[in-house]
Amino acid sequence: MPPKGKKGQPTDKSKAGEEEREEPLQAVVLADAFETRFSPFTLERPRCLLPLANIPLIEYTFEFLANAGVEDVYVYCGAHREQLEEYISQSKWASQVSSPFSKMELIQSTSHSIGDAMRDLDTRALLVGDFLIVYGDVVSNLPLESALNAHRARRQKDKNAIMTMVLREAGTRHRTKAQSTNPVFVVDPTKDRCLHFEQMPNKEQTHFLSLDPTLLSDHQELEIRQDLIDCGIDICTPDVLALWSDNFDFQAPRKGFLHSVLKDYELNGKTIHTHIVNDHYAARVRNLHTYDSVSQDIVARWAYPLCPDSNLLRGQSFRLQKGNIYKEDGVVLARDCIIRSKTVIGRGTSVGDGTVISNSIIGRHCHIGRDVTIDGAYIWDHASIGDGCKVEKAIIASEASISRRCRIEAGALISYGVHVSEGQTISGENRITRAKRKREHGEDLPRGEPDPSIVGKGGDGFEYYDSNEEDEDEIVDGLISRGPLYNLSNLALSAESISTLNSESEDDYEFSHQRSEAGSFVSVGSVDSHASQHAHNFDHDAAASIYDSLIEGHESANIQLELTSLRMSTNASEHQVRRAVVVSFVKRIIQLIGSGSNVRDAVAQVFGQHKDLLTRTMFDKNSASGKVDQVDFMLLLQADLASRENGDLVLLTAATKLVEMDVIEDDGMMEWWENPKSKEGDDMVKVRGKTQQLIDFLSQESEEESDEDDEEDSD
Amino acid sequence: MAQSSGAVAPGLSSFLASLKTTPVEPSIEHLISLLKRRQIRNSRPCAVATTALLLRVVGEFKGKNSAKLVDRIRQVGKRLTSAQPREVVVGNIVRRVLGLVREVVEENLDVDTTATSDVGQNAPHSDALHRPSLHSSISTFSPLKHAAAEPHEIASFPEEMSDSGELVKRPPLLSSHTSAAPMVNSLFGLFSQPDTPSTSNTPTGHQSPDSKAMLTSVNLERLADFSSSKFDMKAEVMDGIRELQDELDQSDDLMAAYALDHIHANEIVLTHTASTSVQKFLLAAARKRKFTVVHVETHPHDHHATHSALLTGKKRDGHEGEDEDAWKPLRLAGVRVVMIPDSHVFAIMSQVNKVILATHTVLANGALVAASGARMIASAAKAHRTPVVVVSGVYKLSPVYPFNTEELIECGDAGTVVPYEDGDFVDLVDVENPLYDYVPADLVDLYITNIGGHAPSYLYRIVADHYRTEDITL
Repeated sequence: MPPKGKKGQPTDKSKAGEEEREEPLQAVVLADAFETRFSPFTLERPRCLLPLANIPLIEYTFEFLANAGVEDVYVYCGAHREQLEEYISQSKWASQVSSPFSKMELIQSTSHSIGDAMRDLDTRALLVGDFLIVYGDVVSNLPLESALNAHRARRQKDKNAIMTMVLREAGTRHRTKAQSTNPVFVVDPTKDRCLHFEQMPNKEQTHFLSLDPTLLSDHQELEIRQDLIDCGIDICTPDVLALWSDNFDFQAPRKGFLHSVLKDYELNGKTIHTHIVNDHYAARVRNLHTYDSVSQDIVARWAYPLCPDSNLLRGQSFRLQKGNIYKEDGVVLARDCIIRSKTVIGRGTSVGDGTVISNSIIGRHCHIGRDVTIDGAYIWDHASIGDGCKVEKAIIASEASISRRCRIEAGALISYGVHVSEGQTISGENRITRAKRKREHGEDLPRGEPDPSIVGKGGDGFEYYDSNEEDEDEIVDGLISRGPLYNLSNLALSAESISTLNSESEDDYEFSHQRSEAGSFVSVGSVDSHASQHAHNFDHDAAASIYDSLIEGHESANIQLELTSLRMSTNASEHQVRRAVVVSFVKRIIQLIGSGSNVRDAVAQVFGQHKDLLTRTMFDKNSASGKVDQVDFMLLLQADLASRENGDLVLLTAATKLVEMDVIEDDGMMEWWENPKSKEGDDMVKVRGKTQQLIDFLSQESEEESDEDDEEDSD
Repeated sequence: MAQSSGAVAPGLSSFLASLKTTPVEPSIEHLISLLKRRQIRNSRPCAVATTALLLRVVGEFKGKNSAKLVDRIRQVGKRLTSAQPREVVVGNIVRRVLGLVREVVEENLDVDTTATSDVGQNAPHSDALHRPSLHSSISTFSPLKHAAAEPHEIASFPEEMSDSGELVKRPPLLSSHTSAAPMVNSLFGLFSQPDTPSTSNTPTGHQSPDSKAMLTSVNLERLADFSSSKFDMKAEVMDGIRELQDELDQSDDLMAAYALDHIHANEIVLTHTASTSVQKFLLAAARKRKFTVVHVETHPHDHHATHSALLTGKKRDGHEGEDEDAWKPLRLAGVRVVMIPDSHVFAIMSQVNKVILATHTVLANGALVAASGARMIASAAKAHRTPVVVVSGVYKLSPVYPFNTEELIECGDAGTVVPYEDGDFVDLVDVENPLYDYVPADLVDLYITNIGGHAPSYLYRIVADHYRTEDITL
């Protein structure tokens, strides 16, 4: 509880001992949203330090918290911790003198999702009273007083009101809203209670919202709203953390946590409330599209007083001129360059003759040559753009240099230090970077080979291309998901234009596009390609761990437990689990055979002991239609054995054993046999050769059965 | 639990409360961030916060060297003004305090060394000498521009930077001063002046912009001697600042005392915004006379405040303590109050006998920066030959000369004018929402301050009385 009249003071520490000090208002800033939406920029810098209108994103968040009168701030860092730490320690927020916060603590976590972070937070037990959870990318001038008061009033009445979400009303179509995914809130307006939450399109990829009929009978009024900007500002009580901990499979705060908690209201009895505001500004910079629109909002003064000319950062000196042009001191403009409206230009930037700049944000110490046309671009500090270039709505990061007569088309992303040589055209779907992967602690940045087909010959030879066509290792690396995440021009148009892109197969593009704007969080559902970041880890870790357990002869249940936890933490799919199991089992069998035991014994020993484990990897036992999981399992087994010595024999034995143990049903086995994938390639055909016996036997059996049936029928 | 949650958002009251317990340096930073975040806004709260802070700064100041004190106040002033150059009042208060320090020092000098020739030369603070130089320095320099021109240096450290920074910008001032100096010094100094500027103790350009300013080296040495003896400079300055605080407190009442001279029975008076000064002014007149007030709503910035001011006499709910006491609403005092939307001003102007405006800042040339809508009202009044009276405390009177009126005008949140919800609109339309209007001097007929009524053309005189020339560029 904040003491009256003492909020937001610079040195509350000095008064910490004072009598009226009660619980301070605490806030948790999630500096890493565990996403890769801002790649390639996030390879080198943490996302919350990317400049938005020349101010690092996290500054806005801290401003917001200071505005709200928060005292203790915990910053949860993910990647690039050391950079963030350095930045904060040098900013005004950490110094005793100027910080409005009495406590500023950085927490490093190894978590891979918001859910892990929350559970980690719960174990740390730092938070005593009500607290705020915000992301490190919130831009808002909202005073939280009324929301906090409402939350506290509710809380006093009802201990189960655990959370209040602050939502900003916006029209049906708004540039700052998420574009392709729509969060839908079902709210009881009389109590401001959120009853149901669904993110559209939902898990089943449909646009249907299914409501529990009891909601309709229990509540006199219901509002189903999808006109809200979810700015990720939550007022929580410690119960929320406990709930996260209880449900260790929750990953995303909205799709996972909120959705499930609301659904299980009967079970846990907790209520979640909304605080809907219709004035002030609140938004999250959750992807590059919102980066663009929030930048525009700031320049157009919708977020006042969060404007460039408020000079939030120390040492800034922006001044506003007519037409929302903001210029800092020491900008060098040639006599006949034209600066159009909605432009921000930082200190030390020089602009050459005949250059026209409009709707753009240009950082400090940039060099812009002659006859350059820049429209709607975001150019960060120390970039240089040569004479005669044409830059559309693109992002050019710090220290990048563009030579003369280049053309940067809308949607291009040019990362730190990239050099584009003369006369080159960078198309909209290119994302150019020099960094191969994330910078590890203290390590030099690995750089890839330059690709002259993109940046042209005579480029410094340092460039690395992250465009979607080439660049396979990037994907194996699993740091960047496929497809152009960012295509402003296409986003600005409509969904139709997406299909005109020639870069990729339709599906792939569609998917990544959706990803780029998909709601706020890592989704649990769409694992396969996007979680590739963790997938690799999982495959390796899981296989190794099971193999070790097999050698040491652990019990099936223990292996199972370990596997589950590993799966949860890395967000791996069932398929991956099966793969891990198969790989490790086969490895063990081969090892046993190698050490002298015969095939049958080896198989019996390995499979026999772990029937439970095997059955738990397949979930379609009782489904009448198709045995997808079982087929998948067999395919994996087959593929793995294809490259092994005596693979065919092992496969036969294993398959027989599996059928014997009833892990794989007869139908499943038959389906696998028929599956075209099992006949692909010489290896596969060869390895399954011997299993023909089993199949014959099985089909015979089933024929007999059907014969019997027939006989019975005829009787 | 809930009772303490009312004052979560920081503001003037929380700042003043914290000032008692926090050290100076964090307090300065605190005020800067409050100004930047616009949590303290409008002239009076800014003035109150600045005086309170400066009182603290002077109180904490160690040592007896007055030049150092002047430097210190100046530094703080620069940081504050660069944080929010459009709150001109902050600069005004800083200048007033600087003037106060100089006055205290000089008084004591006068007492101590009555007969020396130095004083004779130092004394010419006669207005005849002062005014021309004042004017020229104002016109070459808007402190606003100057302050905004180098906040970086200020922030990142003023001590060495300030001097060098000024040196760069000094030449024009120097020339303007030296050209003025021979005039006042009569023909004797005409030729010797450029060669030996420091020989004469008149406030020539060479000295005046310097931080040590009027306190010439000779004086300072003497001061250092005797400050160690008896007189307590700090205490006197602090007394002076407290007087300044009293002035801020009382200025409304003092202005209200003139109300009966200006508002007559059965007049129709038009006003706008929920200014405390104007409300009190009208209320004072209402005690004796019956008249009608036509109140313009001032949409969209101030209409909530206006409504509640008219209904309850309180500016804003929840902001208790921020705008001191509530007052009795006009309608309860027997005044007929008619509220009109801003668009009806011209239509109703023919009926109006007098326009009374509140203001944000009064500039040295007699122009004012007032809540948006003021210019329209003033122009309508001009068209109908209706007298326009501006009610403003002296603390709002600023030595700033408006070269670039756009820079004085703050642009606010576009969302208050059009709904942000309208996505298509937001996409396609650029909205500008100026919070203030610039009203040129020729549209104003009379200023009423706490020291009386003045014509706009006379304001420069009051500026000269209240601010030292050497402080005009902070």
